[in-house]
Amino acid sequence: MRIKIYHLYPDLLNLYGDRGNIECMRKRLIWRGIDAEVIMHTCDDGKLDLSDADIVFIGGGSDREQKIVCDKLLEQRKEIKEYVENNGTLVAVCGGYQLLGKYYKLHDETIEGLDILDIFTEQGKKRLIGNIVLEPDFIEGNIVGFENHGGRTYIGNHKPLGKVVYGYGNDEKTGYEGVVYKNVVATYLHGPLLPKNPKLCDYILTNALKRKYTDFKGLTPLGDELEEIANGYIVNRFKK
Amino acid sequence: MRKLLAVWLGKALTIAGKLIGKKSSSSPGHYALKLCPDLVKVLNTCVKKGIIVTCGTNGKTTTNNLMASALEAKGYKVICNKLGANMLSGIATTVLQQMNIFGKLEADYACLEIDEAYTPIVFDYIKPKVMVITNLFRDQLDRYGEIDITSDIIKRAIAKVPNLKLVLNGDDPLCVQFGMEKNVTPYYYGISEKVLPQTDDTKEGRFCPVCGEEQKYNYYHYSQLGDFYCPSCGFKRPDIDFNVTGVSLGSPMKFNINGQRMEINYKGFYNIYNLVAVYGAMNVIGENTDDFASLLTGYKPQIGRMQEYKFNKPVILSLSKNPAGFNQAIATVNTDKRKKDVIIAINDKANDGRDVSWLWDVDFDKIADENLNTLTTTGIRVYDISLRFKYADINVDRMTHDMAEAVTECLKTGSEVVYVLVNYTALYSTEAVLKKLGGEV
Repeated sequence: MRIKIYHLYPDLLNLYGDRGNIECMRKRLIWRGIDAEVIMHTCDDGKLDLSDADIVFIGGGSDREQKIVCDKLLEQRKEIKEYVENNGTLVAVCGGYQLLGKYYKLHDETIEGLDILDIFTEQGKKRLIGNIVLEPDFIEGNIVGFENHGGRTYIGNHKPLGKVVYGYGNDEKTGYEGVVYKNVVATYLHGPLLPKNPKLCDYILTNALKRKYTDFKGLTPLGDELEEIANGYIVNRFKK
Repeated sequence: MRKLLAVWLGKALTIAGKLIGKKSSSSPGHYALKLCPDLVKVLNTCVKKGIIVTCGTNGKTTTNNLMASALEAKGYKVICNKLGANMLSGIATTVLQQMNIFGKLEADYACLEIDEAYTPIVFDYIKPKVMVITNLFRDQLDRYGEIDITSDIIKRAIAKVPNLKLVLNGDDPLCVQFGMEKNVTPYYYGISEKVLPQTDDTKEGRFCPVCGEEQKYNYYHYSQLGDFYCPSCGFKRPDIDFNVTGVSLGSPMKFNINGQRMEINYKGFYNIYNLVAVYGAMNVIGENTDDFASLLTGYKPQIGRMQEYKFNKPVILSLSKNPAGFNQAIATVNTDKRKKDVIIAINDKANDGRDVSWLWDVDFDKIADENLNTLTTTGIRVYDISLRFKYADINVDRMTHDMAEAVTECLKTGSEVVYVLVNYTALYSTEAVLKKLGGEV
């Protein structure tokens, strides 16, 4: 088996150790004897072709870098939309999450989004920064991470990634974080989200493998003791 | 009268702090400022030859303390916040500790390092003659948000001081942008030749601060530092006033500044930047630097700057606070070809930055070269740093919450040297452990 991971614009969107997520997906495939290939699609690479993509990753960037990426991505909107509707696996973090929505309204301008999710984002007063703990309903245990965003994202009728048990979440108020739609996982939990959340990582990998190999029987377990201790440490420290 | 009360209170708190064994580098100032908010204004009138401030992400304590030490070696009386307490309260503490009991202060120079985020507040009170900006890297992201925000904060501060002379790292595009601000006179220093292997490590400020396009490099030092140019708008490395050439990274390090040969006993390429920044600032403020190398002999590094403790083998303590700092520390460790044990301690207290996602921006895997004997992880975020190694396929020999155990075990191995790489709040506790175990500096 072989999985192709497309990392979109790592030359622009690479804030907060995004490469930890890519490495985590790659290693958890390789450790199971599944080939993994990572393709860096940068600004210089021209038109995006996702016909052979199994996982697409969009990370976070500063507002300035995000604006540059947004223009590039809007040119590829059709390609990405079709990929998602066709059950392609997409992981979007921070800025990448905001870009999947209809728009991101800043104080002085509005950035048009890809309109792949029926969500929108507005810039808030203070940045929402800190450790965060979620309760998801589609995998066991807690999702832990760190959020740092100025935007408030309103997800309408979408299913969230999880209920916030510590931290701010999408919009500071409704108590939910992220979006799960088809095989899209979109979240403000930035940087090395997946190493401390091996179950979420395996959920994403499973979705990609199921789509590509109809006879896929499921992932073999890995020794995740260290991952679980790291996850449990954050849960115990912050969850009341 | 309020001022005098504030000074007495601050002095009393300093003495009380010492009695209970505290450093008291900022809390006396904090309380004194409540009584007398403009206490630090006294620097504008009592410092005869000028105030020099240093800010920037990395190297500000070293640069500032080197500057003070060099000026003292010339016979001047210098006020300096040596302990690195660099917010308004730290500066107030320095001021009141230097005052006599009548609140009088006399000095030729003040050398002050200032936290970037606090520059606009501090510049409401003090008006420096010269400001050194060493570099801007990703640091403590959860406090500042993003690097662009830090740039804007510094620009606001600069606008508050008329006729400010800026001494800027000309190899850093993010620093060079400050030279284009109104009412400033910029001077630039830089390392004007290719020295290090041209690697592709984390380049964080790769985008032109003027137009946003990706910058190109004729040669490249580390992070975003190098001979940069923007192919789109023409923004480029400026003409350099204080040029470093002829670099040899042996021990001692050798290099020329504007043709003047230096032999200096420091470790680490990045220290060349700190040294040339001091050289530049001294020239800009009008001091002669013909005897620059000898002015530096009296300088004692602050703790944790590749500081060596003597045991049955040397234990070298190094503080790094962000990806650029850690990458440089690892590069320096790798130049040491002895068989070594490495201990890495990562904390996530407020002064470290609560967010540890930067661990994935550091090329930690480079620590595992052929000379590595054992690797130990510790600190509050021991599991995060251990996972970082796990996903780089590097074996961690020991995970522990106890630094004393980590050091003791490494002293028993067959290695020739032990390196302890720590982030900020792990520094003082590690220093205490090393002293308690009998290590001599």
